Amino acid sequence: MKKITIDHLARVEGNGGVTATIDGKVVTDVKFNIFEGPRLIERLTVGRTPEEDVSIAPRICAICSISHKNAVIRAMENALSVTVPQKVYLARELMHMGEMIESHSLHVYYLALPDYVGFPNAIAMASKFAFEVKIALEMKEFGNHVMQVLSGRYIHGENPVIGGFGKYPSKEQLLWVKSRAIQFMPFVFKTVNLFCELNYPDCPEEDTLYACCEPGDNAYGFWGDEILLSSGEKIFRDDYKKLTNEFVVSHSYAKRSRYNGKPYSVGALARINNLGERLEGEAGKSYKKYFNERWKRNPLFHNAAQALEILYCFERILRLVDEMLQFPEDPPRVTYATKEGKGTGLVEAPRGLLIHHYEITNGLVDHVDIVTPTAQNAEDIERYCHLAAQKLLDEGKENEIRDRMELVVRAFDPCISCSAHLAQVQKAPKQNWKEKLDKIRSKGTPVFVGVGNQNRSDDALGINLAQKMREQGIDNTWLETELKEEGGPLGNRNDQPLIFLDALDFQEEPGKVTLLPLEYVFRQASLSHRFAPFIQILKNGEQLKNSYLLGVQPQSVKEGGNLSLRVREALDKVLEWIAN
Amino acid sequence: MNQEKLKIGIYELTGCAGDALLILDCEKELVDIFNAADIQSFLMAKSDNIGGELDVALVEGSVTTEREIEELKDIRKRAKLVVAIGLCATVGGIQARFLDRKEWEENYKKVYGDVKMTHTHAVQSKPIDAYIEVDYYLPGCPIGKEQFLNFFTRFLKGNPPEKSQNPVCVTCKYNENDCLLKKGILCLGPVTADGCGSVCINHNLPCVGCWGPLDVANRTSEFYLLQEKGYDIEEIKKKMANYAGTKNAGFFEKLGKEKR
Repeated sequence: MKKITIDHLARVEGNGGVTATIDGKVVTDVKFNIFEGPRLIERLTVGRTPEEDVSIAPRICAICSISHKNAVIRAMENALSVTVPQKVYLARELMHMGEMIESHSLHVYYLALPDYVGFPNAIAMASKFAFEVKIALEMKEFGNHVMQVLSGRYIHGENPVIGGFGKYPSKEQLLWVKSRAIQFMPFVFKTVNLFCELNYPDCPEEDTLYACCEPGDNAYGFWGDEILLSSGEKIFRDDYKKLTNEFVVSHSYAKRSRYNGKPYSVGALARINNLGERLEGEAGKSYKKYFNERWKRNPLFHNAAQALEILYCFERILRLVDEMLQFPEDPPRVTYATKEGKGTGLVEAPRGLLIHHYEITNGLVDHVDIVTPTAQNAEDIERYCHLAAQKLLDEGKENEIRDRMELVVRAFDPCISCSAHLAQVQKAPKQNWKEKLDKIRSKGTPVFVGVGNQNRSDDALGINLAQKMREQGIDNTWLETELKEEGGPLGNRNDQPLIFLDALDFQEEPGKVTLLPLEYVFRQASLSHRFAPFIQILKNGEQLKNSYLLGVQPQSVKEGGNLSLRVREALDKVLEWIAN
Repeated sequence: MNQEKLKIGIYELTGCAGDALLILDCEKELVDIFNAADIQSFLMAKSDNIGGELDVALVEGSVTTEREIEELKDIRKRAKLVVAIGLCATVGGIQARFLDRKEWEENYKKVYGDVKMTHTHAVQSKPIDAYIEVDYYLPGCPIGKEQFLNFFTRFLKGNPPEKSQNPVCVTCKYNENDCLLKKGILCLGPVTADGCGSVCINHNLPCVGCWGPLDVANRTSEFYLLQEKGYDIEEIKKKMANYAGTKNAGFFEKLGKEKR
């Protein structure tokens, strides 16, 4: 067994790493780790006033501090039924454009481009790309200035508050923003051409589901009251958990998300895929020129999508300034007396869908849920790294795996401070397998499916157990090989629980038995492959929730051996319990 | 000018990465910084990072895992001087709210449940001086650009940086703002370390205290002053604790028992 580890991922924001485990010709496991420690942000925002949380919650992430600010304010205003005048919305959007430009230009030029042109960092890259490095810095600085003008400073500005702003930018400041934006236009076009024409490797490529905010009015934009999926489905803001269903994995303090059991992607590429048709002006023209089928399947195109968005933001800034100037009067802060409420705020951070949810009782926040883009992307990051690693291994290019995985991770632009993320925990209760099995059986007669490889010693245990159960006359027992494409009993089992029987390496003594929700098992990349065809059949999320894995720790899964003694003893115990 | 360049490492523990980002945000000066010093490690900016001896280590973030304790101790061994940059490194950050161990454990469980972490173990958030000796502190959430450049150039020239002894109010007066406390708005300026340029008050908003408590400020006096003005005691305590991290530990317990 061999491990390729990228311990600290340089040039991603925060601390993270990715590890691929290779067993002979197979990449058995890929883990995207976050070393960043737990901060419990969702707990330390509890018991505080909405105003205090508007100050504290954005401290999750410096790079997305404006997105967090807009998300927490949107959530609080929804919770407290505060409606703000048009000028406030315009100012918030302008502020958001500053962050997008700052973050995207930092990312494409400083964090991603060095990989494609073969330099360790942007400063070294300056020897050959002096002009690009210099102007990209100025563009990033411009983004920072826009944020400073609106929010009070580069990072964690306190000027935006519930009900409006402490102070509005002057007419001179706004006109300065506009004139600077115009000056950048030639370089912005150059940026689009550069990143849309880069030679992106064709590995990894595979379909995924994209999620982003639905801005409404058939417009492009960075917030909304619904989530739009690339499948066409829409989810109202307060129902966001339908999409995110967060869970904890043991190798990271950042939570994970799957939709109907499958990973999904958020970010610039998701937005361009879902909303690109709506782009107007020069951004619209560039979209039509460059967008193609590969953008739907290849995460490396995130960088191209970011470049397109930089163009969109610059065009939008020109209009926002004009619109703001139509309101010369600064509106007073909207006051509110509400002390109770629940509210969700959806925002597109540079790296994707960001959700803040607050519940307020008696003037104090008593429940907080924050879902960050990196937490949502983590599963797809692992999946695409796994794909890339396996493909390169198949092609005999093992020495390229490390760099390619870094390229993939970096394309997603993970902001690892997002690991601050916390929410209600879904966790396996501390019960033994017998108690769990009885509980499942109390809900309905289960369907059992034996899974495994009969030629690999203890890996045969699932099939073996299912066969014995049949001999004992236990109904509804199937073998993996008997299942058809449409799934037979899997697809139409109504409320019946589904239990897979299989060997499971859960780091215990051989012969130990465990019973876990299938969703939990599916998070383990290596196992998910075996279950992938079944998960496909379990389209409906409710069915997946009612599916389990009864796993026995194998002693060995070597080719050609028989079941080990300890596993055989364990199977007898399981059989006895099920038969009774 | 043949003098050897200062070897500098910039490290990020747990936080929002805002202090490292702010260093990257010194756009105009960034190339000069990289030229003037030998930046041996800066994960956010480059990939050819190395270990080895350092003249100065700048450490951002608070310590929240066992892995970070080890990393921090290693940095201390390698560096002649260690500087804590940002609120998290200097006081433990907003995540150092649960000072009581039991309270922290309960909250940790509410977030992560019983999932046993395999990669490292979590500990209560603490500033870096809880584990190693720290030579200089540069507070702020995040640090200020001017403040950082000032600090950095003094190091380059071999002059030890000076510690700010002023509260936010001093700059606020220079900026000719009206005092919000006089208008009946709870502002933490008098007890908060200076360095932000009184940015909130410049925007008609009260200071939230994000530079952390000023050591030399008379917090007790401020507390009673606010109380006399009719502010709710619990509200004052909570506001003062928001960005105080571990530095307010013990302070509130004693409050109200002292002789005035």
